[in-house]
Amino acid sequence: MLNRRDFIKAGAALACAAALPARAADTAAHVVIIGGGVGGATAAKYLKLANPKLRVTVIEANRVYVRGYGSSEVVTGHATMADLNVSYDALHQRYGIHFIFDTVVGFDPDKRQVRTAGRQTIAYDKLIVSPGISLQYSAIPGYSAALAETRAPSGWIPGTQTALLAQQLKAMRQGGTFVLIAPPKPYRCPPGPYERAALVTEWMRKHNPTGKLVILDPKDDFVTDASMQLGWHRLYGYNIPADFMKGMPADVKNSGKPAPIEWVRARDGGTVSKIDPKSLTVTFAGGSIKADVLNVIPPMKAGKLAFDMGLVDASGWCPIERRTFASSLHPDVFVIGDASIADVMPKSGYSANNQAKITAFAVANLLAGRAPDEPKWKNVCYALAGSDYGLFVADVFRLKDNKIVQISGHRYMSLDATPTQIRLGAAYQQAWLKTFTEDCFA
Amino acid sequence: MKTLLVSSALAMLATLFTPAHASEHNGAAMAATCAGCHGTHGKLRNQEFVPLAGMPEAEFIRAMRDYKSGKRQSTLMGNLAQGFSDRDVQAMARYFARVK
Repeated sequence: MLNRRDFIKAGAALACAAALPARAADTAAHVVIIGGGVGGATAAKYLKLANPKLRVTVIEANRVYVRGYGSSEVVTGHATMADLNVSYDALHQRYGIHFIFDTVVGFDPDKRQVRTAGRQTIAYDKLIVSPGISLQYSAIPGYSAALAETRAPSGWIPGTQTALLAQQLKAMRQGGTFVLIAPPKPYRCPPGPYERAALVTEWMRKHNPTGKLVILDPKDDFVTDASMQLGWHRLYGYNIPADFMKGMPADVKNSGKPAPIEWVRARDGGTVSKIDPKSLTVTFAGGSIKADVLNVIPPMKAGKLAFDMGLVDASGWCPIERRTFASSLHPDVFVIGDASIADVMPKSGYSANNQAKITAFAVANLLAGRAPDEPKWKNVCYALAGSDYGLFVADVFRLKDNKIVQISGHRYMSLDATPTQIRLGAAYQQAWLKTFTEDCFA
Repeated sequence: MKTLLVSSALAMLATLFTPAHASEHNGAAMAATCAGCHGTHGKLRNQEFVPLAGMPEAEFIRAMRDYKSGKRQSTLMGNLAQGFSDRDVQAMARYFARVK
């Protein structure tokens, strides 16, 4: 594998005479997008909506997108792996977006060119990179990519590990323990680990009623917080910690009996120090536990491509100028989605979709010689505490002193929500999977 | 001659930055943030969410105002409405009303 300097040089040295300039005087500007996930696909579509004359090319490694949002439903059999597949056909046919299914191996920011493994050199006027995340498997002693593929799946980027985790849950012995190791901040899909824990617990109540789930967490709080814990309490008899009882409905009383779902947070010793890959015994600050099924959601950083292209800073994420998501490190390059440093904006599909749109409008404006608009972004994450128990996090964001700030106040389903609101939340979650996929990919 | 050229160039710039243009475009950009649930351009085939395309301006504005004040019960629109000023709502309303 090339190191970063070689990667960037490879772009320069191999930019041969055959590479055409991006724009002759009479042709439209060329915007190249690397990465066809939620961010990249949405950016491509909204660039064409903003200005149909733009030439838009997406470079993506895989011919079919496998969506991560909603993929925990595969673990519990509510959805199949095939349900996660999303085609690029509509973006190509309906909007005239050009797709190159290939891997980027070289980048020359001075000549504004990228080069692919298939030996194509592609010139751009503006480059939008949506590189996603990389999982830091080796950050937890004893854990590794190899272990994730064979015995202790992560399943945080959907694929073979998601299917493996579903098989393991089904095959778990009666009365077994499902251990879920939650990640430190910042990470993709903030409510996701806790939704997965809920859905696995719901599944076990039906199919493995003496089984239990333990979340080991290096944090003391999580997105959806009390609203999720209230759902766990109502559905599974979860005991809510005293400091989360504020504002709970009057009828909420902890039984004190062991519940099938337990959350061990940092202050209670939830931080994991090592995993024994042979016995699947997890050592954490508060003790050790032998897992029958071990689901590790490891720490995360920006996707590998962002490192190769020199778009990350010391934090492992991509610094940007917030108004347009222009890279702070290379001109004419924009970084959107989970990999970008977007302050309080969560690393979620909806955030990536909104960042993509605002950046697409900004790029279209810049190419037309106009100033970018004053941006506002939204994030809406639906999450389930059970199949019919819907929750959410909802935010509006704007710029303040060149940082992204939240301006919409309360973020979660209120604790006094009615049964109708809770059921509607679950119905919206299922509907959203469809409308959101269409907004990004069709 | 030179003065003339410069001033016409400035006039062109001024046209591009006229407030009407800016706010209209901003309405489109803000409206696009709703599309994850309400569909691209507010157009929906799915029936769970309210389609916003073609909604009369007054209806959109009243709904957002009532969500914001809490007069109208919601799941999450009450939270989101807090993030938009009257001017923002007006710009989005104008945008959605014009979508055919």
